[in-house]
Amino acid sequence: MSELTWERLRDLDCGAIRTLGDAWKTYVDQQLAHTERLRTDVIDGHLGTEHYESDTATQVRDQIAMTADRYEDDLSDYASTRIATTLLEAADAFEKEQNELKELVPLIEQHDFEIEGPHTEYDVNLSGGLHRAILTLDPPQWLCDMCGVKKPDGFWDIDTLKVLFDSVDLYGTAIGLAGQYQDWLRSVMSRAHDADEEAAAALAEMRENPTELPPPLGATYDDLVDDYKDSVSEEVAGEAQAIAEGTSGMSPEQVNEWWDHLSDAERQALIEEHPEWVGPVDGIPVETRDTANRTLLDSQIDGLGDRIAAKEQALQGMDPESEEYEKAKAELDDLKHDKSDLTRLQDRITDDDGSPAASNQTGQDYYLLGFDTEGSGKAVVAIGNPDTADNVNTYVPGTGGSLTGAGGGLLNRADTMAFDAQRLGGGDETATVLWMGYDAPDDLIEATDPKWAEGGAADLESFTKGVRATAEGEPSNFTLTGHSYGSTMVGTAAASEGVEADNLMLIASPGASVDTASALGVDENHVWASTNDEDAIQYAPVHGENPTHEEFGANTFTSDSPREGSDWWKFWEGPAENHNSYWDQDDLNTPANEANDISRDNQAYVVTGQEERVR
Amino acid sequence: MTRLLLAGLAALITTVTACSPMEKDMDTPPESEYQQAEVYAPAEAAVADLVDVLPDFPGFANRSWGEIPCSHNGVDDPNYTSVEIRYQFSAEDSATPLVNEEYVNVLREHWTSLGYQIARDDATEGDGGTYRDIKAITEEGVSIWYSAAYLATFMVSFGGCVPVSDKGEIEYIPPAGGITPGSDGDRVGNYFPEGIPTSHEAVAPFDSPEHFDDQL
Repeated sequence: MSELTWERLRDLDCGAIRTLGDAWKTYVDQQLAHTERLRTDVIDGHLGTEHYESDTATQVRDQIAMTADRYEDDLSDYASTRIATTLLEAADAFEKEQNELKELVPLIEQHDFEIEGPHTEYDVNLSGGLHRAILTLDPPQWLCDMCGVKKPDGFWDIDTLKVLFDSVDLYGTAIGLAGQYQDWLRSVMSRAHDADEEAAAALAEMRENPTELPPPLGATYDDLVDDYKDSVSEEVAGEAQAIAEGTSGMSPEQVNEWWDHLSDAERQALIEEHPEWVGPVDGIPVETRDTANRTLLDSQIDGLGDRIAAKEQALQGMDPESEEYEKAKAELDDLKHDKSDLTRLQDRITDDDGSPAASNQTGQDYYLLGFDTEGSGKAVVAIGNPDTADNVNTYVPGTGGSLTGAGGGLLNRADTMAFDAQRLGGGDETATVLWMGYDAPDDLIEATDPKWAEGGAADLESFTKGVRATAEGEPSNFTLTGHSYGSTMVGTAAASEGVEADNLMLIASPGASVDTASALGVDENHVWASTNDEDAIQYAPVHGENPTHEEFGANTFTSDSPREGSDWWKFWEGPAENHNSYWDQDDLNTPANEANDISRDNQAYVVTGQEERVR
Repeated sequence: MTRLLLAGLAALITTVTACSPMEKDMDTPPESEYQQAEVYAPAEAAVADLVDVLPDFPGFANRSWGEIPCSHNGVDDPNYTSVEIRYQFSAEDSATPLVNEEYVNVLREHWTSLGYQIARDDATEGDGGTYRDIKAITEEGVSIWYSAAYLATFMVSFGGCVPVSDKGEIEYIPPAGGITPGSDGDRVGNYFPEGIPTSHEAVAPFDSPEHFDDQL
């Protein structure tokens, strides 16, 4: 972990980092003017074909052009993308967290708390003075106000006695507030460390060896120039592979710059020859990723078909009673399951003629942004193009989420969210993304473990940065909607890594990994939470404070609880069913129940920036 | 609260084992009276009924059949689904006082006269004007939600969570309200991969069956 402390972050001159980044950008622009002059004044000017017409002249022009290309590539890849963008992104990230510190540290000091412990895990504790004040029945005014007691005036009277009797409450309240500040501070520093490490990685991954230059003109030029051109192609492929495998250290914004700088031919070659290096990568435009991922999907389905046929063939020669047969049969079943999941997803997003399908609910095209059959499986599918939309809503499902659901019920739910946003959105375009991009817990027992959310946090952070990086025009109004454990996933990513979102919506949440909305790195006025009053999850806040509680500090909106048990004595059914009922219509068993559609409306209002309508 | 705590605990227990008869019962979704394929006709008929009631009806722009996943013990159950029929006016028609306001009043009066319980009747104000919502549940148990918003929409459901039917079992029902079957506005093609059936008899969009007995 980086060595950044909260004091260093507080005192950091972010402006100086930004100025340095800007200086590098300016330097790049100045240098690009030189290569432009080489092309116009030299290659097309006094060394132009109208003055010199010979094989040698052509060779000289080519060599100069390649040298200019090489210089521009290096300026783009290193000076601009690696150095300048890294500095500018780091300055933005540090400044954002620094601003949080400037709000938080005075609060800590005003309340007579102290920051203690190693910089990797700060504690916020009551100071000795505050301890003494409570023990001597002289608590500070703010604490008396929070607990609803009158501050004693120094005499042993009824107020003093009340404070004496309420001392446990006073301590509890002070410790609770210190805990919230601790959550906030730890989240700020976690995101700052993350930004620090990402910047360091981006710089460290710059190649130590200087890039190869075009061969010099001379006798060996013809022999060497083809090798040089091949090496340039290999270099692009190597970069693409490193980016896809996560070893490049580049942020989605940097990936986007890198992609933009490639030639059309280079981009096309990567899409056709290595779709696996294009489709899953945050920072590459959505339409391109969709094209590459659809190619990958076809290829994986075909590959699974071949493996299933081979496995079935192998099974025929085995003893059905043997362990080997059992093992092979289990593998075959897994392969069939994977193929079935991928085929269902493909059917859903593809028309009968093989062209990309549109949602039947909104008429918006589906875009496949990623998929994986490992574990429970993953898939990221957009309804509408996030690069061009006015609003982007990303739905993160919870417990039980899987690739199977991504081609079925989860995408149905996302379709309903998209439909509601279109119905209420006032003509703005809203892209709705199903982000089943993490390995979700399979059941409620597994959902008590934060490891699933921690495992997906960096990927969700990267996805949100990718949405920002590839957006065309004005940035969209971007909402992350987490349902059930999905809200823990959203909260964990927001608190520990930082997400590029305007709004967070935590629905039926068992906790967002922190005790206060302030710790989520998003303006708490744009953190929303809702849990219906029958949902059993409200009694199991295993991942931090219930986000709908006042102490958490989020906005709340109404969601109803339309589900009832199928029989009067099946008391467990209603509270369990109401955990997932936030998009449901009424239950036939209770036709006169409250309408639950208000939750759908409220969600759509947040997503489309109409908070004034939320109830 | 005790009941809810018990319920939460029970939901957790069911994920571990299902040994006793009670636990076994908890592992089984509630029985449904209908299958998915059976819920479309009553919902579609309810829309067709309404079209008769609405004055100066401008025609719908599109209809679709939505599905919302159903859960059991807090986890989505792929074997169950909840169907929602959606009929939508164009943005232009939605913005008219007729569709945005008068239809809400007409529906309120109509449903009240039929003795239906009005489950929702409210409005919100915003930059896009007034959005109104009214919802009733018919005697047959069909839930009809009219959202007079940017795109005024009828959302109609019947049967709650029902067992999923094979696509081949779901019958095509011609759309109500002036949408041409199989046209761009008839967004149910995904249920009929072989194409919208052409053998059905054309149904007058403003007619509806007298009863649902032969359709359930």
